[in-house]
Amino acid sequence: MEQTKEARERRCVNPLSTIREEEGKVVLQLEVPGVKKEDINVSIEDDQLRIQAPRREERIENGTYILRERNCGDYEKLFTIDNSIDRDNIDAKMENGILTITLQFKEEVKPRKIKIKG
Amino acid sequence: MDLVRWNQRRDLNPLGEFERLQDEINKLFNFDYTGSSGLFDRTVSPAVDVIETADSVVVRCDMPGIRKDDLDLSLARNVLTIKGEKRPEEKKENAKSYRNETWSGTFQRTISLPDSVDPEKVDAALQDGVLEITIAKREEVRPRQIDVKVS
Repeated sequence: MEQTKEARERRCVNPLSTIREEEGKVVLQLEVPGVKKEDINVSIEDDQLRIQAPRREERIENGTYILRERNCGDYEKLFTIDNSIDRDNIDAKMENGILTITLQFKEEVKPRKIKIKG
Repeated sequence: MDLVRWNQRRDLNPLGEFERLQDEINKLFNFDYTGSSGLFDRTVSPAVDVIETADSVVVRCDMPGIRKDDLDLSLARNVLTIKGEKRPEEKKENAKSYRNETWSGTFQRTISLPDSVDPEKVDAALQDGVLEITIAKREEVRPRQIDVKVS
């Protein structure tokens, strides 16, 4: 009980995101500056795609902040996905502080072109 | 009319309502600001932290998706200027966009640092989308430990 309360009250930052659909796939991009590739956790539970990216930034010892604008919380984002997404074919890539997740549609829902024999 | 069971337990804890109210207020303080990004919002220029230590000044700046070659840093005396361009993501044809919270374009930020910095000793690194600039302080302004010898 205590733990769930702690988890609920932990400060989480909602990363800025982009969602777009390309041929047969959905591409999610999240801006997560300051997160290391190995700390990112992408998981699927039922219909929810959860992305957790904790920040482990080195603290500067004995430093005083002159200016503090950056968010220091861990990133967390939850997406709901439907049955047209192939759960076994998810690809994640990290580059320059941007996390790109590619979700493939299932074969049966991909649009198919039908050629007309003439 | 519905008959609703009387909940006696609430009565036993007169502070229950206060606890609920406290929870609600705590939640209010936890809401995050990053969700919005209007044209003149501060999110359009990258967020900056400036941290001063005894012998240096460290500037940290969130730069997701910005390449090293697109950044231009300059330091004149104690005024640091960060210029750069965030290039838009290449779009494929017939791609449908559902949500776009990010921005692209050029930005410029000028920050006055403490007078004690040494413009000759600057070190900058871009890693995991965070730019870290370390500027050493001049020797003469650093706090110095003086050993007192007792003979």
